[in-house]
This record gives sequence, C-alpha cells and structure tokens, in this order.
Amino acid sequence: MSEETAQVKIVENEQNLWGLVRKPAGCPHCQRVFMVPPGNDTSLCPVCMVSPLEDQPVRMRLSDPERILPFKTSKAHLPSIYSGFAASIWIRPKDLMPEILLERTQPIFWPLWLVDCDVVGQWQMEAGFDYQVESAKETYSNGQWVSRKQIENRIRWEPRVGEVDTHVDNVPVPALEEVQKRQKMTGPYPLDKAQDYDPAAVGSAILEVPDLPPAEAWPFALPEINKTLAKLVTRAASAQHQRNFAIKANYQHQHWTQFLLPMYTTYYLDDDGKPQVLFINGMNGSIQGPRPASQKRGQKIAGILAAIAGGLFLLALIGFLLTAIFPPVSLLAAFLGVLGLGAGIAAIVPLVWISQWNRQQQTQQD
Amino acid sequence: MAQSNSQRTVWQVPEGFVRVESQVPDVIVFAPEPKAKQTDQATSYNCPNCGAAVAYDVPAGGIACEYCGYVAPVKTQQLGQSAQEFEFTLETLSQSDRGWGTERQMIHCDSCGGELTIPSGEISTTCPFCASNKVNLTVCHDETLRPRFLIPFKLTPEQIQRLTLDWLGKGWFHPDELAASTIAQHFNGIYLPFWTFDAKVDADWKAQVGYEKTERHYNAHEKRWETRTRIVWRWEDGHVQVSVDDNLITGSNPSQISHHILKGLHPFDLGDLVGYKPDFLAGWQAQAYQTTLTDAWEQGKTAIREQAKAACRQDIGSAHVRNFNMIADFSDESWRYILLPVYLTSYRYQDKVYQIMVNGQNGKVAGQKPVAWWKVWLVIAAMLAPGAILGLIGILTILIGGIGIIPFAIGIILFVIGLVFSIILLNKARQSEAK
Repeated sequence: MSEETAQVKIVENEQNLWGLVRKPAGCPHCQRVFMVPPGNDTSLCPVCMVSPLEDQPVRMRLSDPERILPFKTSKAHLPSIYSGFAASIWIRPKDLMPEILLERTQPIFWPLWLVDCDVVGQWQMEAGFDYQVESAKETYSNGQWVSRKQIENRIRWEPRVGEVDTHVDNVPVPALEEVQKRQKMTGPYPLDKAQDYDPAAVGSAILEVPDLPPAEAWPFALPEINKTLAKLVTRAASAQHQRNFAIKANYQHQHWTQFLLPMYTTYYLDDDGKPQVLFINGMNGSIQGPRPASQKRGQKIAGILAAIAGGLFLLALIGFLLTAIFPPVSLLAAFLGVLGLGAGIAAIVPLVWISQWNRQQQTQQD
Repeated sequence: MAQSNSQRTVWQVPEGFVRVESQVPDVIVFAPEPKAKQTDQATSYNCPNCGAAVAYDVPAGGIACEYCGYVAPVKTQQLGQSAQEFEFTLETLSQSDRGWGTERQMIHCDSCGGELTIPSGEISTTCPFCASNKVNLTVCHDETLRPRFLIPFKLTPEQIQRLTLDWLGKGWFHPDELAASTIAQHFNGIYLPFWTFDAKVDADWKAQVGYEKTERHYNAHEKRWETRTRIVWRWEDGHVQVSVDDNLITGSNPSQISHHILKGLHPFDLGDLVGYKPDFLAGWQAQAYQTTLTDAWEQGKTAIREQAKAACRQDIGSAHVRNFNMIADFSDESWRYILLPVYLTSYRYQDKVYQIMVNGQNGKVAGQKPVAWWKVWLVIAAMLAPGAILGLIGILTILIGGIGIIPFAIGIILFVIGLVFSIILLNKARQSEAK
C-alpha cells in the first residue's frame, strides 16, 4: 500500500478530526466538500451560496494540517468593510446592506498543500550578478560645463551548471482546482506569517476539503518546487538573479500536508434574487465580489423623476393657457416648464449611470 | 503520482566548466573556466630551427627568422570595429586609476637564464644578454586593462623612409638640403596605447533665439522713410541625439610622445583591428597606457559633449543665440584599449633635434621640420613692401601736392593684406618646428 493510500480515509460522520469536532458535508450545486462544525446543518454552501450543505461522506487525508494563518481580520472589523463596499455603489441592490451581509457571514479556512521532498539531480541556469557602472550627465550653463557622475546598476549574466542533493520543505501548492480564481477573489496572503497548526486558531470556522489530491496536484507542485530550487542554487552560486533555470532530478520521499488560509464569505441577493458572493481575505480584510448596480431601483427612480417631469409639464401647459385670462401667469408657467425639463433630464441619469457602471463591472470581472 | 520528472543519469560536467565555491552545502556549482591570462610570464621569441632571435615581419605577416627564413603566420582574427567594447564598471575605473606605478619590472629570460629589467609601462623588450625578443604583459595586473586589440604594422621601415623623405622635401620654407638628406634613417616601430570611446548623448537645449525682422520707420531728422533690421528674441528648446563611435584618445604620456605631432597621424582605420597576440609585438617596441582610463575618459567626454553642443547649435535655426544652456545625458558609454602602429624617429639639424612620426598603417607623416627663416623673412618683406612703399609715396605726395590720398589708401590696404598673409606664414613656419 502506498503512503498516499495509507493516509486517505473516508469520513462519514461527525468525528474528532485535527483536534476539532467536524462532520463532512457537500454542496449538491457546486460539488464542493467541507468539514462543518456540528449545528451548521442548514447553512448555505459558503462558497457558491446557492444550495444548503448536505451530509456527505468525504474522502480525505486525516493527518493534521501543518501550518495555519489565523484570522487577523476579526468579525468586529467586518461592518466597516461591508459599509465601505456598499457605499461604493450609488444605486445598489436593496439586499446589499452591511447588517444583512454580516448576518450571512461564514468564516472558512481553505487549503493549500505543503510539499516536502528530497531532490537529487542536475541543474543549469544563467546566473545574474549585480554590478555598477559609471555614467555621466553634463550640464552647460553660463558658458561653463558642470559634470555629474551617475551610478547605474546592471546585471551580468553568466552560465552556471551543477548538482543538487537537498531537501525542500513546505513548498505551497494548490489543493483546489479553482485556486487561481480563489486567489483572485481573496488577494494575496502573507504566507511567511503562518504558524504551526493549532485547533484553537480554527475556532468555529468551516474547513474546505481539497479537491485536488496530491497525484493531481503534482503538475502544479513541480514548478513550485523548481522555483524553490532555483532560489537555492542562485544563492549557492552567489548570484543575485537567475533566468532560464532547468533541472533534471528525482523528487523522492514526498510528504504532503495542508496549509489553511482564512477567509470570510457572505452574499447579497441581486435584482433577480440571485446570490452574489463576496470574499473577504481573513488577513488583510480586502473584499472582492460582484458589485452590480440595481437596475430595478434605477428604473424606479427614473420613473418617479419622469412622473414629476410630466406633472410639471402639465402644470406649465395649464399656466400658458391661463395667460389669456391672467398674463402674469406666463412667468410661472415658464418656470414650471424649465423645472419639468430638468426633471426629465434627471430621469435619464440613473439609467445611463447604471448601464455604464454594470458594463464596467462586467469588464473588470472578465 | 509522478515521483520524478526524469531518472538520474550519469552526468558529465560540460567542457570548459570548473567547480567553484558554493554558498549552500547541498549544491555543487560549476562555472566556465576563467580565461587564462594572456601571458603571466614574458614570452621569448627564438627561432625553432636555428635558435636565433625572431621578430614580427611586416611583409610576411608573421614571426620570421632573418637567418634561416623560418616564417610562422600570426593566427588571429580581424575584428575591425566589432572588437569588443567594455563598460565603465566602478571596478575597472578604480583599477585603472592605480596606473602602472614607477617600479621597473624584473623578468627572467628563459632563453639564456638572465635576469633583466624593463621600464614601467613598456610591454616588449630585447634581452641584452642573448638578444631574444620578449613580450611581457605582467606590467598590468588587471586582465581587463591589458591590450586586447591592435592594428599591426602594414608598412616596412623602408617604405616609411621613402615617405618621410618625400615629406621632408615638401614646403618651400625649409632648408633645401633637407629633401636630399638621409638624416631620417633609423625608424623605431612602436605600438602606442590609445583608448577608444563610444557613447550616446541625449541633449536637451534651451536658449533665446534671435530672428531678424526688417521694419520701416520714419527718420524725422532726415525726413524720410528708412528700413532697419531688428532682432526679435524668444525662448526656444529642443532635443538632439548624438551617437559617437570610436572617439580616439591617446594613452601615452605627453612628456614622452608629442600629442601635437601624434594628432597629425590621424585618422587610423579601426577596421583593421585584430585580436591581440604577443607575436605582433616581437621585435617591436610597445608602450602600455600612461594616461589612465579615467583621465582619458575625461578628455573623451569633453570632446563628445562639444560634439553634442555643436549638434544643438545646429538644431537652432538661427545664428543669433544667447543664454544657451543644455543638458547632455550620456548613455551606453563603452571603451576599448588598443595599440596602434607608429614609427618614430628624430634627427639633428644645426644642433637641434627634430621629431618625426609616421602612421604605421597608412604612412601619413607628421612631425617637426626646420625652417629656413631667411626665406620666411624675405617673403614677409616682399609681402609688406608694396603696401609700405605705396603708403610712403602717398604720404609724400600728400605733403607735396595734396593728391596722394588714393595711393596712400591703396598702400594701407596692401599693407594690411600683406600683414595678414605674413602672420599666417609665420604661424605655419612656427608650427612646423613646434614639438
């Protein structure tokens, strides 16, 4: 039996896992799998927010995670983050309110793999060495030259080859298929601030289960390990830079553990009642998610303004008719006519703004 | 799971790579083997057939033995202006600033076992004990600052002698016997050090540019309309790019080699540059640089920025310019250290020593020539006399009859013209003797 098979088990029920009581659950809509705290049965899938989680057996590695980034942004910070997000949209959906977002917030830890392995092989690269050159700037003024020396930094590239027989430790590797999308939504994490796994740091958060097993994650792991090796050999060669690094090696005694990253998710319903999910980085509090303006509310505002414009025009018309009897009314009629025109123009503004805003948001999301 | 992306194979260190120090114990590093220093020991030149001293022979284009006829061509590559150029790294500048010092170098002759000294800054010599020719580069400790390129001698001393005699015969104000003289016989072929500089200059200029404007105005005093030209000034600015290639600055000491005469040998065709080989120097003298890279670059920079200034002035579309200022931003500066072939000789004429230099590539001659001053003074007198005589006649006739104003004026004009030509002639004659 391989090391991989030995470590993987099917978890069916609530159990004490990694020093925490969790039970497996899955989302029938997005197929994501989580370990949720007991009593979280009715909650929506914390990532797609479409369907409630259902009990579901999970095939996973039971060994404890190795590293964790504890939440640095507490729940107390979230109201101001949500207020800022909501305030950025002028005519926002009715459901986009800080208190509603807060109520729906779920803390989650999502996984990366940490790979350790022994590497034995040969490498080659172009090593870059910093050096300085002197340049000049000459100024001619009042019939005299003034010289000023300038120092420029340049890189000298030289070939290097060699052998490596080393152990690489804790190379972060994607554990989710959608890791790029996830990183785009959460933004970067300060991985160097991680600490050893401690169940207390998890609290009541949901744990997302990797959907990329080590065998499938290996093609992503290899370039990351090679990047680590490139840094190592650059240091070995006393170089400051490297390019065209290539290595031919054996990667033995691999050891895969998890690295947990914190995030919050919440959602609001758009005009069509569709949930729009927001992701909040648990370290720096940056918030990402769709922010469409509400077309319904925009149309409503436009309608009210159009009705006001219509009323004002009608009053102006009546005023003009009355000028035959009482000429001074013409002044009031003209004033009402101008007001009506202003209201009519103002009625178009929300519709144009919403259309432009939503198009811009769509472009940013794409 | 893919345990490895390839199996470990028997690995050969690439040819020309050597193991170097690694900062990480788990990693072994190999780097290209440093190029062997050109010569860390003096190279001796003796004939492999007869053992006599051999030297570089111009017609043969290689090392030749004048006793047994042995010839070995010099294996090198013609690089021309594509010869490698170097950057102004702080390391090189600091190394160059240290110069050669004044110590004489002690070298061991592997032909006869003798110990001989050569003056600081000289690259080649001949052993006084066995007469073997030697080329020694240990005078320069920094590899970068050793000569990498040179133009080999293209002309033989015999050809040079003919060219020199022709040159000596030219010019009427030199002694007649100079042309027929055989005084310039002993020519020393010497490779002189030169620096070449390349740079790009981005120059931004700003100046008040004047434009002539013709306008009419009424002269109340004369009671008539007149035209006058007025200059209208306005601030203008512009940008000019100047690219300088192979700006040549001599690297020899002006107290030893006259830079004034040396300038007269230009231009050298740098298309003939070849990679340095000590063979070219065997039997010939060669000097290492005396003017450091930093000092030479200062001279080069001065010339280049003046070129940039001239380009800016040309960019201004008017002859009227004031408050001109500019900023010349240098980039891609590079240098080359080369040796160029020059023949030197000196001769004595009437107890005075005169220097002659000949471009060893194209035969251009420059140097000092004695002046037959009596010829010069005679010609000056002849040029001034008509004006002076006519002027005197004019004065006399004015005094006598009052009609001499015209000859007096013509005399003054002729005298001034004569004076101008006399000064030009005098300068030319002085320059001819100047060192």
